[in-house]
Amino acid sequence: MKAGPLQVNRLEKVFHSKLGFSRFTAVDSVSFQISSGEILGFLGPNGAGKTTTIKCVLGLLNPTSGSVSIWGEPPGSGIVRKRIGYVPENPDYEEIFTPMELMSMFASMRGLGNSPGESMELLSRVGLSGWETVRMKNFSKGMRQRVSLALALQSAPDMLIMDEPTGGLDPTARKEFRDIILEENHRGATVFLSSHLLSEVETICHRAVILSRGRKVAEGDMDELLRTEDRFLVSYLPAEAVNSDEADEIEVSGEALQSAIDRLRGEDARIMRVIPSYRSLEEVFLTATGNGEQ
Amino acid sequence: MRPVVTFAHMTLRSLVRRRTIWGISIVILIALVGIGQIPGYGVSNQGRFILDFGLFGLELGALLLAIGLASSIYPRDRERRTIMPLIAVPLSRGQYLMGRFTGAALVQSASILTGCVGLMAILVLNGHQVPADLFPAAALLIVEGWFLLAVVFFFSFWTSPPLNAPLTVLLFIVSQLSVSGFVALLPSAPALMRTLRLLLPHMDVFHIKDPIAHGLDIPGIYFVLAVVYGLSYMAFMLAVALAVFRKRDLK
Repeated sequence: MKAGPLQVNRLEKVFHSKLGFSRFTAVDSVSFQISSGEILGFLGPNGAGKTTTIKCVLGLLNPTSGSVSIWGEPPGSGIVRKRIGYVPENPDYEEIFTPMELMSMFASMRGLGNSPGESMELLSRVGLSGWETVRMKNFSKGMRQRVSLALALQSAPDMLIMDEPTGGLDPTARKEFRDIILEENHRGATVFLSSHLLSEVETICHRAVILSRGRKVAEGDMDELLRTEDRFLVSYLPAEAVNSDEADEIEVSGEALQSAIDRLRGEDARIMRVIPSYRSLEEVFLTATGNGEQ
Repeated sequence: MRPVVTFAHMTLRSLVRRRTIWGISIVILIALVGIGQIPGYGVSNQGRFILDFGLFGLELGALLLAIGLASSIYPRDRERRTIMPLIAVPLSRGQYLMGRFTGAALVQSASILTGCVGLMAILVLNGHQVPADLFPAAALLIVEGWFLLAVVFFFSFWTSPPLNAPLTVLLFIVSQLSVSGFVALLPSAPALMRTLRLLLPHMDVFHIKDPIAHGLDIPGIYFVLAVVYGLSYMAFMLAVALAVFRKRDLK
């Protein structure tokens, strides 16, 4: 993988009350980066600071301290805006326009020469065939999400920033969205995906960052995060069942692994495989955010 | 430039589809019908009266249009979060401001021109002469309207719409005051008040209804200087508005 296009360095965002008597730290010294071509899952419970971080990355919020750079440029710069696509959480567009009109106006504002044919094709790709000329006021939340995705894909962006993109979608639509994200990633786009749906992140992300109460509490490759620290699964066929297909399994610590294997061999069991033990992302998430005991 | 033009067009279409323009047209029509009733009251110097009253209506119209068109644009965009996808990707904050401003300015200018044409029609229908300076006077009112729009945008970035309107009206009133009138507001600090008056806008330069109604000629250079003054102050207000907007967090 090439050098990271997005660098977030000790980002802090503090919100003050209107009269300045109280303050709330939404993001507290968060650092991470995204490598080129990867899909980064951005996780955290409600109020963890995910959306605030994303808005700082997009230049919608001014960081209190720390820095964000995208391809070495500050957020919100013209070069950056040309190369990214953004799918907001609960997207809203002016209700009096149709998806085709929005596609045409956004293309023009971005300096793209998108033809009506291309717009129709893109709207069809996100599942909006037949809805191209219907005003947005008639659209459900899920349909607005689809319009939002079409607008984000319009420029074939180098980076897709998605804030809960599948929030209002049914399972079929979620699958379609996932497929599109993977297609875009295969095309070469880097994806920064904030999601509550852990199964979704576990399925498609290469790496994840977990936030809790504004702080980063875990980060790593998916494999690294899910692997149980120093725990192994040993599959074996007991001596009395060596001709059977049904293997037994024991989970042991790294320290006890050698003696467990020796013991099984001593019992004439056949060792089938020894693999690192994995947890579900939900377990990782709950442990990292301090809710594991609940 | 292209993003600004497209966004201005989008703003214009939005204002048209929201029926804002139709509301404005009805108000203009009612005002013109009202002015058209003047001859029925048998006042002396009818032509002068119609002109005076009509241009005063347009002055007031420029103020109300600025408040009506612009005070809720940015707060509505924020409240409905339609601003997020715009500022995040296709538009810079400057382009957003200029696009919204240009769209609203087009609607406002068209409305003032329509009012001016209506006033001209009333004069002609009642057998009065249309003064040559009527359209330049309307042009000055359009420039004043643009300036007021810039003021409304500036206020909208740091106040709520209910506060925006009185602040704009207050500035409109204060900017009509003469130096002596302004000093009279705080006679204990005349130097401060004179300096403040110098810095605050002089919107009285855009109001030439009295000389026109009295048939006086306005020198061409006056129009040029008034337009340059108005556009310069408008550019200054937009620059200040943008500086405030850039500091705003879009939560």
